Amino acid sequence: MGFVKAQKTRAYFKRFQVPFKRRREGKTDYRARIRLINQDKNKYNTPKYRFVVRISNKDITAQIVSANIAGDMVLASAYSHELPRYGLEVGLTNYAAAYCTGLLLGRRVLKMLEMDDEYQGNVEATGEDYSVEPTDTRRPFRALLDVGLIRTTTGNRVFGALKGALDAGLDIPHSEKRFAGFSKDNKQLDAEVHRKYIYGGHVAAYMRTLIEDEPEKYQSHFSEYIKRGIEADNIESLYKKVHATIRADPTAKKSEKEPPKQHKRFNLKKLTYEERKARLIERLHALNAAAGGVDSEEED
Amino acid sequence: MPAGHGVRARTRDSFSRPFRKKGYIPLSTYLRTYKIGDHVDVKVNGAVHKGMPHKFYHGRTGRVWNVTKRAIGVEVNKQVGNRIIRKRIHVRVEHVQPSRCTEEFKLRKLKNDQLKAEAKAKGEIISTKRQPEGPKPGFMVEGATLETVTPIPYDVVNDLKGGY
Repeated sequence: MGFVKAQKTRAYFKRFQVPFKRRREGKTDYRARIRLINQDKNKYNTPKYRFVVRISNKDITAQIVSANIAGDMVLASAYSHELPRYGLEVGLTNYAAAYCTGLLLGRRVLKMLEMDDEYQGNVEATGEDYSVEPTDTRRPFRALLDVGLIRTTTGNRVFGALKGALDAGLDIPHSEKRFAGFSKDNKQLDAEVHRKYIYGGHVAAYMRTLIEDEPEKYQSHFSEYIKRGIEADNIESLYKKVHATIRADPTAKKSEKEPPKQHKRFNLKKLTYEERKARLIERLHALNAAAGGVDSEEED
Repeated sequence: MPAGHGVRARTRDSFSRPFRKKGYIPLSTYLRTYKIGDHVDVKVNGAVHKGMPHKFYHGRTGRVWNVTKRAIGVEVNKQVGNRIIRKRIHVRVEHVQPSRCTEEFKLRKLKNDQLKAEAKAKGEIISTKRQPEGPKPGFMVEGATLETVTPIPYDVVNDLKGGY
C-alpha cells in the first residue's frame, strides 16, 4: 500500500457537528423525547409524567419520571431485581416479570400519592384490555409510556410492564394492538393467550416440551428453577402469589450500602483554586527571597 | 426577475441556524414556562417551521399577553409611519427566549427591599435612589520626572542625506 489519501482531513473535523451526548451514546431518541416532554404552555408548571420502561440483559427498570431543566426527576421506580422480596427469584426478565415490575411500580406510585384505596385497578389479571375508570373524588394518575429505543413489536416485554401498570390502576393511554396475543388476522386481542403470558404460561409450555424431548437441556437451561423446586405446573400459582404480595406491600425499601472503600491514588489530585493561588504566592516569596530583590506587595 | 417580497424574503442568513448548531434544538426551550406580563425576546429558530413570526419581529422584545397550548402571544412595539403601534403576535415557544431586560431591575428591587428593611430595623433613614457617577476625586501625581523637550535647529546636510 503506498500513499493513501487521508479520509478525515482537518477540514472535516473543523466542520463536524457533534450530536447530543445521549445521542452519541445511543441512549435517547430526541424526536420521541420532545413529543413526550412538551407540556401545554397554558398548563404552566404541571408535570407531565412518563412511564419509562427499560430492559437490560438481566434487569427490568420501570420508572415514573417528570422532566425539568435541571434534570429529569424520578417520582418512583421499580426494578425486577426487587422481585425476590416478593417471592419471585428466577426468570426476572421474562414477560411475567415485566408485568410484575409494572404492577409493583403502579401500586407504589398510588400508595405514595395515597390513591391506592381509591384505584384498585384490575385485581385479577385476565389479559383483557382494562382501562381505569375515574372515580368521583380524584382523577387517576396519568403517565405516558416511554419505550426508549426498542422496536415496538407485538408481545414485547415493555408492553407486559405496561399491562402491569394498567392493572395497578394507572391511566396510561394505550392500544391493545401490541399486547402478546393480539392476532393481526382477526385484529383482536386474544385475552386467553395474553393471560397465559402474564402468568408465565409460555415458560411453562417450553419447560414441558424440553422435559419430553431434551431432558439434559432442560436440566441446564432451567437449573435455577429446578433448584427452587419450580415446575411447569406451579408457575401460574407462583405468579398469582407474587401479585398478591405486591398488592399487599408495594413500598420501596431503602437498601443499606456501606460507603465505598477508598482506593489508593496513583495520580495527583487536582488542586483547588485557592490551593493554586497559595502555591503561587509561596513560589513568588521563595523567588524574591532567593533573588534578594524588592518584595512586590501584590502577588496576583 | 423582480425582487420578490414573500413573507420570508431576505431571511437567508437571519433565519439560518448558527454554525454547528443545526438539527434538534435543546429541550430546555420546551420546558420553560411563561406567564402573562413576562418580557420575552423574539428570536426565530429556523429549525422549527411552524409558528414563526414575521422577520420584522426577529430581535424584538415584548410582553407576554396570552399563553396557549404551544405558543405565546407577545405584544411588540412597531413604528408605522409617524406613530408606534403595539402589535400582538402569536409565536411558538421555540422562537422565544426569556428576556433579561428586567433582570437588573428585579435584582435591584430585591436588594432595595432588603436594605430598607434593615434600615427600618435600625431606625435610620436611607435613600436607595441610584446616583449617576460623579466627578472622580482629586489625586497627586507620583513618580513623575520632568523632561523638557525643545525643538532642535534644522540641519540641512543631515536631513537631505537619504534622498534628494
